[in-house]
Amino acid sequence: MNGNEELARLLARVALRDSAAFGALYRATSAHLLGLAYTMLGRRDRAEDVLQEAFINVWHGAAGYNAAIATPMTWLINIVRNKAIDKLRVGKAERAATVALDDEAMALPDEAERQPQQLLESSLQRAHIDGCMAQLAAAQRQALALAYYKGLVHTEIALALDAPLGTVKAWVRRGTDRLRSCLEQAGLSAA
Amino acid sequence: MNYLRPERLDALARDYAVGLMAGAARRRFETLLQQAPAAQAAVLAWQARLAPLAATVPPLQPSAQVWETLQRRLLPPPTAQPSRWSWLATLLSGRVLGGALAGVLLATVVLRQQPAWLGLEPAQETLPASYVGLLLDRDGKPALLASSRRHGRVLSVKMLQPLVVPAGQQALLWALPKDGGPAFLVGALPAPGKLGSSNINLSDSAEKLFFGVTRLGVSLEASADVAHPSGDFVLSGHCSKLW
Repeated sequence: MNGNEELARLLARVALRDSAAFGALYRATSAHLLGLAYTMLGRRDRAEDVLQEAFINVWHGAAGYNAAIATPMTWLINIVRNKAIDKLRVGKAERAATVALDDEAMALPDEAERQPQQLLESSLQRAHIDGCMAQLAAAQRQALALAYYKGLVHTEIALALDAPLGTVKAWVRRGTDRLRSCLEQAGLSAA
Repeated sequence: MNYLRPERLDALARDYAVGLMAGAARRRFETLLQQAPAAQAAVLAWQARLAPLAATVPPLQPSAQVWETLQRRLLPPPTAQPSRWSWLATLLSGRVLGGALAGVLLATVVLRQQPAWLGLEPAQETLPASYVGLLLDRDGKPALLASSRRHGRVLSVKMLQPLVVPAGQQALLWALPKDGGPAFLVGALPAPGKLGSSNINLSDSAEKLFFGVTRLGVSLEASADVAHPSGDFVLSGHCSKLW
């Protein structure tokens, strides 16, 4: 992954309608962003739709990117995640009639490496906060992982984990609060 | 619900950033995000905290078609050319010529043949929507061509033959409405005795002034400060809509 400085420079040029910079930005980030969309959506075609829509937003919205308040990769990730969530929600509304929601929630991606639990553990290790986060109960980590990597809402997580709705809400809240404090302890958080 | 209490906003921002908000609540929050900097800041903070979770997601190489579609939809396409210019577009493309030579060609070939390009107008086969009037003299010979863009505020006046104006008098251009109402003054001809073009600044857009006008006329007056023409028109003609 390219350094954030280089990405910020490219984004600034994209804001000026620099096609070459747009191409370079795409080459540098599209595989990572598609991987994220695919993890959430479970289907390459839908994930590629999201990637395409995201980069249309990047082209038109690069002028709105402010390097002082977000890193380029965070900005890009959130465009992709928001679009993926939009697509997930629309898709689920359409399929709700034919597929039981808990089946959908438990649907596993083909690769083991894309399992939400796995992704959470490896990312925490990468950020050197796995020790700090280990203090979180497994159920809390699982709830956070399902929310972030699969875009599930509370009711879906409750079905997937066979737990009450209120409990799931508390698990996710504790998971994110713990994440915040572990990052602050590690000096990694801006806020 | 008071969104702006910090704890409440923080909780909502977290839910939004993780992706837990759905449906109407999500849309409402997105509206709030557009309006409230505090909400934006709260969401940005949570997005920054969650960003490390995306770091180990395995990449997936997109199919070539995604980039092709992006290029097609976003990156500047060749500008639409009428077919008679397509040979020139090919000639001027960067693939065929270096930039400097293309610039020289542009200056000498294109501008000579299509001066409107200097104004960056798209090459057109027809004139832009305009009001046009051809005024004839008393012998029926074309004497004055008046034209203005439909929504423009400048009337171009081209003398096709010089109009003799006695010393101390002015040549005034009048507009005659269709319904037979009184003529109203458009302006004084800037250079009636000379062949060629000059401009009259209109008091309003041509559309507002000439929409109901069917004829134009020029009269000779002692001053420009008159309410209606004192005598016959020395030049007159139809006022037409060219669109």
